[in-house]
Amino acid sequence: MKTIVCAAVGAALLHITPTVVLVDRPDAVAQLLPGADKFFAREVHLSDADAHKLHEAVDWSPSDGVVTFYSGRHGTTLVGLLQFVRVDTPHGPVEVTVSFDPAGTVHGVIVTKATVETKPWVLEALRAGLVQHYQGLAATGTPDGSSALRGSVGELPLYMAQEIDKGVARALAAYRLFYQTR
Amino acid sequence: MLYDLSRADVRVKWLVTCLLLTFGLAYGFGGWMVAMYAGFTPKSVAATYAPSEMSMPMPPESTVVVEHPMTMSQFAEAAPHQVDTALLVQDTHVHVPMYGLIAACLSVVVLGLRITRRAGLGIVSLLFAAPWLDFLGMWLTKLLAPGFAWLTLLGGWAMAAGLLIVTVMALWQMWLMKERTAT
Repeated sequence: MKTIVCAAVGAALLHITPTVVLVDRPDAVAQLLPGADKFFAREVHLSDADAHKLHEAVDWSPSDGVVTFYSGRHGTTLVGLLQFVRVDTPHGPVEVTVSFDPAGTVHGVIVTKATVETKPWVLEALRAGLVQHYQGLAATGTPDGSSALRGSVGELPLYMAQEIDKGVARALAAYRLFYQTR
Repeated sequence: MLYDLSRADVRVKWLVTCLLLTFGLAYGFGGWMVAMYAGFTPKSVAATYAPSEMSMPMPPESTVVVEHPMTMSQFAEAAPHQVDTALLVQDTHVHVPMYGLIAACLSVVVLGLRITRRAGLGIVSLLFAAPWLDFLGMWLTKLLAPGFAWLTLLGGWAMAAGLLIVTVMALWQMWLMKERTAT
């Protein structure tokens, strides 16, 4: 009886949009910062003015007011750094992991999380080669991988590609405003 | 009592039984899902619906940078599942009508039970109040304070209790209660 009651409690939260891990974070780190054996987290706690600056740039600021850059080093040599950026869509959150090489250009992008609903759309966009379009992008660039997919994927994968563009744009802006200049 | 489930045609009894079992199945999987994504404690529910309110300090006067070393295993630590305001708006829009329909279906079953008018009113109220409490808790947790997560848990328990009460009473009266008792 207790089991039944406990299970029934679940009905209260049936509205959760379940997250699906597409790539584990450690696997994404290993792929995006190859050869790194030391890692550091740089947390940038934004003042109101800087949060506003970021908001003006990409219409977004992190909900906890903190932008975190994770850098990887091999010995004393910087391999690169990355950010995990969350994009909230009407179909649930998507997490985009964006890495930069030491020169400050985009080294790679991996979509690490989606939701049960968005997973097939995200996968279709990825199969169509979405993330290749971000490689080599400078911090001042505008990510527009979705445009390259127009006509080759359906409407919903295209929509998700636009959301992923948004995630990359946020990472670029944060990098440009709070990493390159500090 | 507007009609008597215990004396209803066997096809009606079977329909009601299937409906209740289907709801029970759905609720069971709902419990599983909650265990995976939100948990059953006020703390975990609050982390799901009010993460920023729980962790956000006052913004500093000027931007502060803190750097610390990390291990690869720390990357694997699971962040809590979070529902932001936009998603909660959508969830409320989508799920409240569905919960209303479920409460209405269960209430129709209640109307056929051999219980007092007052008990019937009480159970129907419980069936509809539970999802209200559930969503009220989520919104208050998000907008006011994480402490309101207990309202969501209370709503969940109330939904569980409502389904359990209606199911047990209906199955008992339809299939197990002796006819002489029923009459």
